Amino acid sequence: MTIESPPRREATSPGSPLVTIEGIVKDFPGNRALDDVSLSVHSGEVVAVVGHNGSGKSTLVKILAGVYTSDGGTVELSGDDGQQTGLHIIHQDLGLASELNGIENLGIVKYHGASAFAPFKRKQEREHAIELISRFGDPFDVEVPIGTLAPAQRSIIAIARALDGWEHPRNVLILDEPTEALHASEVRVLFDAVKKLAAEGAGVIFISHRLDEVLEIADRVIILRDGRKVADELSSTLDHDKLVSYVTGVPIGVAEVGSSRRPRGEVALQVEGLVGGALDGIDLTLYAGEVVGVAGVLGSGREALPACLFGATPATATAFTLDGKRYENRAPRESIRRGMAFVPGDRAKFGSVRPLTARENVTLPELKSLTTRFGALNLTEERAVTADLIDRYGVKPPRAEQVFSQFSGGNQQKLVFAKWLRNRPTVILLEEPTQGVDIGAKQALYDAIDEAASTGAAVLVCSSEAKELVRVCDRVLVLRNGRISAEFSGDQLTETRLVMEGYGFANEGEL
Amino acid sequence: MKTTEAIPTIAEGRKPAAGGPAATGSRWSTLLGFRNISAIYIFVLLFAIFAIVTPRTFLTPGTWLVLLDAQSITVLAAIAVLIPLVTGVFNLAIGAEVGFAVILVAVLQTKLQLPYEIAIPLAMAVGGLIGLISGLIITKGKIDSFIATLGMSSILLAGLSFLSENRQIIGLQEGFRQFATGGLPLSLDNPNFKITNPVFIMLFVAFVVWYVLERTPVGRRMYAAGYNADGARLSGVNVSRLQVASLMAGGVIAALAGVLLASRINAGDPTVGPGLLLPALTAVFLGSTQFKGGRFNIWGTVISVYVLAVGIKGLQLLGAQNWVSDLFNGVALLAAVGLSRWEGSSQRGSAIRRALPFGKKKEPSAR
Repeated sequence: MTIESPPRREATSPGSPLVTIEGIVKDFPGNRALDDVSLSVHSGEVVAVVGHNGSGKSTLVKILAGVYTSDGGTVELSGDDGQQTGLHIIHQDLGLASELNGIENLGIVKYHGASAFAPFKRKQEREHAIELISRFGDPFDVEVPIGTLAPAQRSIIAIARALDGWEHPRNVLILDEPTEALHASEVRVLFDAVKKLAAEGAGVIFISHRLDEVLEIADRVIILRDGRKVADELSSTLDHDKLVSYVTGVPIGVAEVGSSRRPRGEVALQVEGLVGGALDGIDLTLYAGEVVGVAGVLGSGREALPACLFGATPATATAFTLDGKRYENRAPRESIRRGMAFVPGDRAKFGSVRPLTARENVTLPELKSLTTRFGALNLTEERAVTADLIDRYGVKPPRAEQVFSQFSGGNQQKLVFAKWLRNRPTVILLEEPTQGVDIGAKQALYDAIDEAASTGAAVLVCSSEAKELVRVCDRVLVLRNGRISAEFSGDQLTETRLVMEGYGFANEGEL
Repeated sequence: MKTTEAIPTIAEGRKPAAGGPAATGSRWSTLLGFRNISAIYIFVLLFAIFAIVTPRTFLTPGTWLVLLDAQSITVLAAIAVLIPLVTGVFNLAIGAEVGFAVILVAVLQTKLQLPYEIAIPLAMAVGGLIGLISGLIITKGKIDSFIATLGMSSILLAGLSFLSENRQIIGLQEGFRQFATGGLPLSLDNPNFKITNPVFIMLFVAFVVWYVLERTPVGRRMYAAGYNADGARLSGVNVSRLQVASLMAGGVIAALAGVLLASRINAGDPTVGPGLLLPALTAVFLGSTQFKGGRFNIWGTVISVYVLAVGIKGLQLLGAQNWVSDLFNGVALLAAVGLSRWEGSSQRGSAIRRALPFGKKKEPSAR
């Protein structure tokens, strides 16, 4: 895709408004996901909503979809003529059944079978299906399981299915990260389909964090940051620099100051040719006492790296040394024994055992030192250790016997940190360490990272928040397509550079 | 940063955690609350009702000693279900495992003429082996434990029929009979007035299992594995090994229950084992609603077996037919699961809801 001159459509004369959102507010415990967000979508218009993870994009979609109810504000689903607008949401996973064929997924059967038990009418069904999908370009086989189709063709099935239900003319299609699984050529197919729709008078809301695509497809771009709308501009007035500066909140041309480097110690972890998950050959060296960041968009391998290093996801490496010793057949249990710690991004699913108490959670990885000679747990000792950790990390309320799931997000994460830092690991792998955490807890977690590094641990921070990486890391690696594409440190380490590099338009965007 | 001034930071911990004891003063009321020990209140209620309605039979010590003795085997079967369930594995083969051991210990003594001192440990070893096979099918074969143990159950029932030829095996050795019928006499006049061996064995097994589950690292890891296998694995817990080992332990205890059963009825009866599945499962589920607020636990299970048995006994003394025990167990199972749903508001979450493969409540996720 060329960056210089995206084939932009001229903003059509705005039709009547289809959806009008006024002052939407949504609170989660400990943070405000959406704060006074307003937007409107008109007939014939493609509106993109962009922003980082946690900017409130998905919350907005979920409110429109009715998954969440907003804590304030209004959603108006009718225009001047008073007719109701139909909302059609296509989620990232499309919501299709991959074992069924195109016809079945399109749900066409309902039109051609008179009753639930009437036999199928194959011919009519197929013709109807082909008619539906040919609105979006060349038809393809609708009688094979859609799992065998190309991802873009599946997207078209999902869109066609949404359209097939359009019984009135006023409709809005919401596409939530629709290009996540698509190749560049397939993105084109999808975009053509979307443009055709808009030309027919529908409104489209396009949620994405791929900034180049956004400029190409959208007539208007709405940028969310930390739950607020920071810009609502015609895409013809935007360029990449502007977009990046809106997304990150850093003005164009302002020099950001990277954190000063910590003194480096010995090599703590050395990996060559790490392949696994989305990773495609990573060479990495971590030194004791430093904090290394990993940036990259979703799918770049950023989220796979810590799990592969820890042995939680199968991965191969041509060489892997930990503390100067070769380490093969990596597995979580052995990694823990050798002094590694892994704070996974998904706290509920991987980071904790929610129904167990705080005490039972923090001691789980290492119970040996709390076991008496007769094989019993020394509960007195365990309680003392837990009380100490709760105090050190400022967990509130300071109740060791409270069930983990009853703590707030920030305090849960403090407990997860406490659990892993308890035995002073030498290599600490952090994935999205402050996700879903309120500001106060965030600072406590950064302090904990700082303290771990200053006491000689090597810390790897994988994060989708560039701001966070700039703040806590000595150097940051940027991953793209499973490989390290750049490394920044010192003055070079700025939020803008990380975002540019991650999205892959560093060259055009030289400041 | 812009955000700090706009977003009102919610003071951490301002909200008192729901369900948790608010202050130490109310700790006793929580401990003695209906939610915590409902089975004991139900027990008292049942006792009062039957004591009033049928005092002559219900209040005799003989009735209670028989009940204590008979249900000790159900408790063992329930423990054999409980142990794997703590690690997140269903064992629906429990009835068949008990039944198989009943026949095996009889066949070893009669057809193979082995002395019972050898036949008993051999039957228990086979029980452990069955657990090992089930465990490998579930962990290595990656077959859901529901299905795997259901299949295992059917296979064992076939083996049971084959060995017994669907007939009672009689002519067991004299010493063997003493195994379950011997005990500690309570009265010099009446030799039948005693606490029998199975009761002591049951208490001993329950104590050991309690100790392992509640007081050792192994128990802690078992609970972690059952609650969140992925999370536990990342914390260094060998989930598969714990699941296999728990099925083996359950298999040995089930076989022990089978041996005691064969000894008590002094025959290898092919019909007695399979009926234990429902009362055992019911007791484990009902037990999980007791004491530990939604955790499968040993004393809740033991109490539940006896509460259920008292209910059934009382109804039988009132002249109810045999089918009342099936009815009672079925209703109690549904009530136990229902109770845990009702407890759903407590954040601790219920063991049953997590264990059952259906009707899982979705965690609300913040963006």
